[in-house]
Amino acid sequence: MLDRDELVRYNRQLRIPDFGEEGQQKLKNSHVVIAGVGGLGCASATYLAAAGVGHITIVDFDVVELSNLNRQVLYWEEDIGAKKVVVAQKKLSKLNSTVEITPICAEITEENVYSVIDGAQVVVDGLDRLNARLVLNAACVKQKVPYVYGGVSRLRGMVTTIIPGETPCLACFNPEGPRGLGVLGITPALIANLQALETIKLIIGQRPSLAGKLLLFNGNDMKFRVYDIEKNVGCKVCSQGAARYTGKDRKGPQGEG
Amino acid sequence: MKAAIMPGFSELIIIVNPAEKVTREGLLTINMPWLYAPWPDAREKGVIELEVEGETLRALLTTLAQVYRQAGVDFEPINPGTNDMDEDYDVLINGKNYVTIPHGINTKLKDGDKVKVKILWRWDG
Repeated sequence: MLDRDELVRYNRQLRIPDFGEEGQQKLKNSHVVIAGVGGLGCASATYLAAAGVGHITIVDFDVVELSNLNRQVLYWEEDIGAKKVVVAQKKLSKLNSTVEITPICAEITEENVYSVIDGAQVVVDGLDRLNARLVLNAACVKQKVPYVYGGVSRLRGMVTTIIPGETPCLACFNPEGPRGLGVLGITPALIANLQALETIKLIIGQRPSLAGKLLLFNGNDMKFRVYDIEKNVGCKVCSQGAARYTGKDRKGPQGEG
Repeated sequence: MKAAIMPGFSELIIIVNPAEKVTREGLLTINMPWLYAPWPDAREKGVIELEVEGETLRALLTTLAQVYRQAGVDFEPINPGTNDMDEDYDVLINGKNYVTIPHGINTKLKDGDKVKVKILWRWDG
């Protein structure tokens, strides 16, 4: 049951058909892990806390720097030099004191990834490196935890929702791309909010719109493109590995995903 | 020129004026089916055949964009605003990035050249 303050606090979203008190209760009972609280993670953490996700674990090993402040909106000038997860915990708790915020000051590695995502209903990507993302992706696939990928640079961004056993995973694509290209703060805010929306849909039991789809945002031309994507049956992480194209047997173990 | 196109993971592999029949046998699987949108019948064999007017990388990419546009797919490797490669994509010719080749996007393609158009993923956060 939601208490009186919760009915007031969440009034605007409680009015949404197919959400209501039942949806709010599901959010309240949920646990989301946000891996990385940089440009993406600050925005997704803020909106998920505001929406009433009951337990949010935030993971980051970094400290706040001046160059973060164009996009990492949980951090202010007075926070420079402080651990990001400590500052983020404090700010998020001030935004919504009913949310349990667990800070983990660590880099995600193969050694700690399973303990980091333990108990998560959804993992939200806020990382800035491919390798850490692939580690997280593999652990989420193995533990069957949905993982909402987001990535940005400049005025461009991408999102896909990975549902283990059903959709392609990040490793399916043998993904390539440069990093460190720079970023306008609005881009991660926008992409992170799409990730947060997907996360909320997952928690309340709605079909996430970007499961099996790749959204590409182009802020230069203000274009959103959404493409269907399929599992790679040769993926070593989520499938059987080393499958080759044989044309006709597309759904079989040796065929195309 | 004739182009044999094989959509891959996040890329298009294109053989220019292939000397022999191109097949997909032995290549890894496909997971971007929308790259077949203009040629749904080609998905069965995994290879798209396209006739291109012109001989340059630019002509090839412009023709590709036109064909995708007609099929309702927004795939535009050459940005009309900059008239250069859009930053969502990268192109290799025989393994070399197009920017390292003297004529870049206006490079004249030769028989058997292997062009790879990659869709770039985003890693910053």
